[in-house]
Amino acid sequence: MAKAISMREKKEKLDTVTIYIMGQGYKVPSSLTIMKAMEYAGFKLKRGVGCRAGFCGACATVYRKLGDYKIYANLACQTKVEDGMYLTQLPFVPANKAEYNLDEIKPSASTMLRFYPEIARCLSCNACSRVCPQDIQVMDYVQYSLQGQIEKAAELAFDCIQCGLCAIRCPAEIPQYHVATLARRLHGKYHMIAPDTLEQRVKEIEEGKYEKGFEELMSLSEEELKKRYVARDFIDQKKA
Amino acid sequence: MSFEYIKIGKEEKEFISKIEDISGQNLYACYQCGKCTAGCSFSNQMDLTVNQVIHRLQLGQKEKVLSAKSPWVCASCLTCTVRCPRDIDVAAIMESVREYILRYEPERIERMKVTGEKAKNLPNIALVGSFRKNTEL
Amino acid sequence: MKYSYFPGCNLKTNAKEYEHTAVEVSKILDAELVEMPVFNCCGTVHSMASDNTMRRIAPVRILSRSEEHQKELEDTNNTVVTLCSMCSSTLKVVNEEVKEDEEMLQKINWQLERDNLKYSGHSEVKHYLEILRDEVGFEEIVKKVKKQLKGMKVASYYGCMLLHPDKAKIDDSETPTVMETLTLALGAEVVDWPYFKTCCGSYHVVDKEDIVNNQILKITEGAKKRGANAIITACPLCAYNLDSQQVFLQKKGIIKETIPIFYFTQLMAIALGIKLENFEDHHVDPKPLLKSLGLI
Repeated sequence: MAKAISMREKKEKLDTVTIYIMGQGYKVPSSLTIMKAMEYAGFKLKRGVGCRAGFCGACATVYRKLGDYKIYANLACQTKVEDGMYLTQLPFVPANKAEYNLDEIKPSASTMLRFYPEIARCLSCNACSRVCPQDIQVMDYVQYSLQGQIEKAAELAFDCIQCGLCAIRCPAEIPQYHVATLARRLHGKYHMIAPDTLEQRVKEIEEGKYEKGFEELMSLSEEELKKRYVARDFIDQKKA
Repeated sequence: MSFEYIKIGKEEKEFISKIEDISGQNLYACYQCGKCTAGCSFSNQMDLTVNQVIHRLQLGQKEKVLSAKSPWVCASCLTCTVRCPRDIDVAAIMESVREYILRYEPERIERMKVTGEKAKNLPNIALVGSFRKNTEL
Repeated sequence: MKYSYFPGCNLKTNAKEYEHTAVEVSKILDAELVEMPVFNCCGTVHSMASDNTMRRIAPVRILSRSEEHQKELEDTNNTVVTLCSMCSSTLKVVNEEVKEDEEMLQKINWQLERDNLKYSGHSEVKHYLEILRDEVGFEEIVKKVKKQLKGMKVASYYGCMLLHPDKAKIDDSETPTVMETLTLALGAEVVDWPYFKTCCGSYHVVDKEDIVNNQILKITEGAKKRGANAIITACPLCAYNLDSQQVFLQKKGIIKETIPIFYFTQLMAIALGIKLENFEDHHVDPKPLLKSLGLI
């Protein structure tokens, strides 16, 4: 005769894995991401958590797996748990950011070296690229910055989410993501042309063209806002 | 004539052995001919000349070698290595003194400060070379 | 003939004319320099510590990347060509080291494999001067000369890295002749002088400028004393030191007249009929000399 299985027991028939958080083992369902698994285990995340969508770079995690000597790193919100994961969260990576005024500097290798002379220490070991959760060729953009090829550096570094894992692994102590930011800013300011529609729109905003519309939206109640949101214009993708 | 008491004990022997290890050279092959010093482009700016550095190393005089300016004046031009009649890589020995300092006694590191106007024009290759020789990972 | 060309970190910053003239000249001489698509800094000066494998990764990475590039080029051989003397020396030394020490090569390859690269150990490294002497030949260059560099009295400055260490030298280390023969091939006059390989001070220009100034004074005064009106070099760091520090010393009143510094490919360009336009990286203005000789 079939025995009634309570909801509790049903839950415990889930496929679970053991992960180690702060050295302590926890059994968590194997389908969860690291972040969800930590919360399942009872941790309330106040630091090292952000958009939960792989975009903000807050949840950098370094881990090892049982029986494996390698060091792995990834984003906690994007990585599924594996049995034997030994986890450490990195909510903050120390990396001094240089101060500069974009109007006063030009895109060149000297500029990059002036603010980040450490890039001359790059060993080309590629530890940075291997740890990048966005699969960016970090070493290559650092090398491009050293060579003064700012455009190539900025293009390679486009997907960077500033998680800091590269800077932590670098033996030459380069803050790669800050170097990337400088390259991207220089590229944006000096090489790329802003669309004139953008300049036009900025002007309109400064002239107050949209003030009334904003004020109206701010005065609506939550109900009315929701109604308006649902009823907004859609472009019929099939017709477009 | 002046005399100095030289001690060659365990510490000195360890130092000699470490320098030979890092450089991969046999310090005792040097017979003090002085060709290295004669060829060195920077001899006149060193406090201990190249052959004097090797001699002090042979005698394990750690303090004297580590406090000399010579390893930091050396520009790795390798003229000494090319001219040594005993085929000793003299520049490697100078480099191993630098490495010894940088690996074990960090307060002697020659850290450079690149600031302002000068940094605007320095070729990056100069910074690469300077960091390679004056800093350790 | 196309060669896999490794620029190094400096040829695109303040030695752009060196690269530009070299590439143009290489096309005329059918020994074309084709730049590697991706490259990294070689980490000059090479590490002389026997136990520092990490500092040898960068040069081997370059060699393995060049091997990948050589596969894409038609009509090439297994050579990496550089213009920068310091890169040439560093790459050659490490190349010889990993050819002799299989264990070291294996260790480094183990690192590179994770980036889908591997160095087979079968490439050669050559400085462009070697290609000009051995593959192109000076007679070919003489045939292609359109304008003889009459009136130029050239002192050839080798610096240290073209001739040191023994594994990496491109010519006899005490009596080299390749740059002098090139000078003659271009129709200029050779100045014989003893400071052709006195070290310029190299990276000391960063924090120990006095050392460099000492050397530059010796070298440039020596060249002028023997009647030279130009110095040619093959290394961007030597060129920078010789050039910029002369201006500095002139401002301090230590030297009165300056002597212009050229890359050997700039003189080749003038002789082979390529117009030189960009002099912005020169600190000592070479235009007065070139104009007075009718060369620009």
